[in-house]
Amino acid sequence: MESFFIRYRNVLVLLTLLVVQIVGLAVQVRRTDAGRNTMDPQDGPGVRLIRLWADAVVSPPERLIHQSKLGASALWNQYIDLRHTQQDNQELQKTIDRLRLEQAALLEDAKQGQRLQALQNFQEKYIYKTVAAQAIGSSGSDQSRVFTIDKGSNYGLKPDMAVITPDGIVGKVREVFPGTAQVLAINDQSSGAGVILETTRLRGILRGNAIGQPQIVGILADQRIQPGEKVLTAGGDLIFPRGLAVGVVEKVVRDPERDAFIDVIVKPAAHLDRLDEVLVITATEARFSEQQQQDLAASEALKGPEAAAIEEQKKASAIMAERLPGLIDPKLPPDQQPLLDSTNPSLLGRPPQALHPDRFTPGGANQSAPGSGNPAGTDTDKKAVTPGSTANPATPAAPHDSATPQRKPQP
Amino acid sequence: MNTMSGDIRRDLGVRRYPILVYALTPLAALVLQAWLPRLLAGNAWFDLPLVVTVYFALVQRIPIQGTLTGAVMGLFEDALTGHPIGVNGIAKTVVGFLASSVGIRIDVDNHTIRLGLTFLLSLLSSAIYVAVYRALLGLRLEWSWVIELIKCVANTLIALVLFPVLDRLQIRD
Repeated sequence: MESFFIRYRNVLVLLTLLVVQIVGLAVQVRRTDAGRNTMDPQDGPGVRLIRLWADAVVSPPERLIHQSKLGASALWNQYIDLRHTQQDNQELQKTIDRLRLEQAALLEDAKQGQRLQALQNFQEKYIYKTVAAQAIGSSGSDQSRVFTIDKGSNYGLKPDMAVITPDGIVGKVREVFPGTAQVLAINDQSSGAGVILETTRLRGILRGNAIGQPQIVGILADQRIQPGEKVLTAGGDLIFPRGLAVGVVEKVVRDPERDAFIDVIVKPAAHLDRLDEVLVITATEARFSEQQQQDLAASEALKGPEAAAIEEQKKASAIMAERLPGLIDPKLPPDQQPLLDSTNPSLLGRPPQALHPDRFTPGGANQSAPGSGNPAGTDTDKKAVTPGSTANPATPAAPHDSATPQRKPQP
Repeated sequence: MNTMSGDIRRDLGVRRYPILVYALTPLAALVLQAWLPRLLAGNAWFDLPLVVTVYFALVQRIPIQGTLTGAVMGLFEDALTGHPIGVNGIAKTVVGFLASSVGIRIDVDNHTIRLGLTFLLSLLSSAIYVAVYRALLGLRLEWSWVIELIKCVANTLIALVLFPVLDRLQIRD
C-alpha cells in the first residue's frame, strides 16, 4: 500500500488538487430559476479569504508602483513641463465662470423638477457624497474587466456602490477590503446595468462582450436606433442614479443567439481602458448636497452683477411705461379711455378727409350706404385699432408692453 | 529540493535558485500581470504567471512542486478577477504537472524545445480555462480563438526573453 502512494504520489497530488478546486468551484456557482448557471453574487467566507490574501500580496507592490509613477508624473508636470500654464489658467477660469452660470440655471431646473416629483410622490436620488479613488491595478485577464482601487471599507466603501468618472459611469464595487476594493467594470461579461436610449427611450441591460466592448442586450430589433444616440443610466438597477452618461451607440448588430433581438454596441463615455481617478458614489439623497448648495450660492453671487444689470433695465422700462401716456388706462372704464378722447388731437394721426368718399373710404361705406351698416361705425373703427380690444375675438390681443409701437404717442 | 543530495541533483539535472528568486519571481509575475494591462489599454494578451509556472516546472523536474506552483499561481490569478476561484487554478495545475513531467524526459537547456512547450502549454491552458468555464460550470463566456492564439504567441515571446534571464540566476555547483 505504501509503495502505491509513493509510486503514484505525483498523480495523486494532481488529482487531489483538481478535486479540491472542482468542489470549490461547485460551491461558488448556483442554478437560477430560469435553469441557467450563474455565479453566486456573494462570495463565501473561504472564497473571500482567498481574495483577501491575493489582495494583500498583490496590492502593496501595485500601490508602490502606482505611487512611484504618480510621483514621477507630478515631478514632470508640476516642476518641469509648465509651458502655457498661465494661458491655460486664464482659459480655465473663464470656463469655470461660464459653467457656474450654467450650473445655476440647471440647478434651478433641478429644483423645479424636485418639486414636481414631490408632487407626484416620486423620489429621485441625487448624488450626495462621493469618494475619490485611484485605480492601482487590474485583474490581469482579458476575460475579466475587474480593477483594483486604492480605497476600501476604511473610507466607507461597500459592495454594489456605483463607480463613475466625470465623463460617465465606470462600474460597481464588487469586493471590498480594508484598504482596497475591486470594481467590476461595465464592459465585463458578468456585469449588468440598466440603461435607456435617450431619443428612442428603449431600455435594456448593459454588459460587456468578449473583446471588452459594452453592449446593450435584450432589445427587440428597432430601426430607430442609430449610431450616435446617447445612452444613459435608467436608474432601475438601484446602483446607478438615473440620467448618468453611459456612452453613445456605436453600431447595432444582430443577436447571434436570438433572431428577433439585437445587440447595441456602445462606445463608453468614460475611458475604461485608461482609468486613473474614479469617484465612488457612497451616498445618494433626494436633495442637493451641501457642496451643491454652496456651488449654487457661489454661482448666484458670480452672476450677481449681470443679474443686477438686467433687473435695472426692467425697472427703467417699468418707470418709462408709467410716465408715457398709454392708449389704455386700466383704471378708467372703457368709454373714458384716452384713445376715445376726441379733445386729444395727438393720440392717433387721423387720415385727411377724402375729397370723393367711396365705399373703401374709412367710415365712408356706412355713410354711402345708410342703413346697411353700423350707425356707430366710427366707434367700431376706433375699437378695431385698440390693442387688446374685444370687439373682434379672432384678433389676438397685443401684449401690454411699453415698447409696443402702437402705444407710443404721436408727437 | 534541499533534501536532495548534490550528486542526485546533478544526475537529474535539477537546478537550484536563491530563495529570493523563488519568492520574488512569482510575486513579480502576479503584480506585473495585474499592473501592465493598465498601461496597455486593458489588453492583457499575455500570461506572465503561466510563463513563470512553466519555467520553474520545467527546470525543477519535480511534478509535485510544479503542480503546487501552478495551483497557487492560478488561484491567485483567479482571486484578482471577478470570476469563480479555481478556473485558472485547474488550468495551471495541469500545466505545472505536465511541464514538470515532460521536463524529466527532455533537454530543458534547449531553448527551442522550451519555447515550443510554452506555446503548447499556453494553448492547453486556454482550452482548459474555456472548457471548465463553459462546460463544467455552465457559465456564459464569450471568447475568441484568435485572441487565445495571440496570447500563446505573446507568452512564447516573453519566454524567449525571460527564460535566459532566469537561467542566469541559478546557483551553480
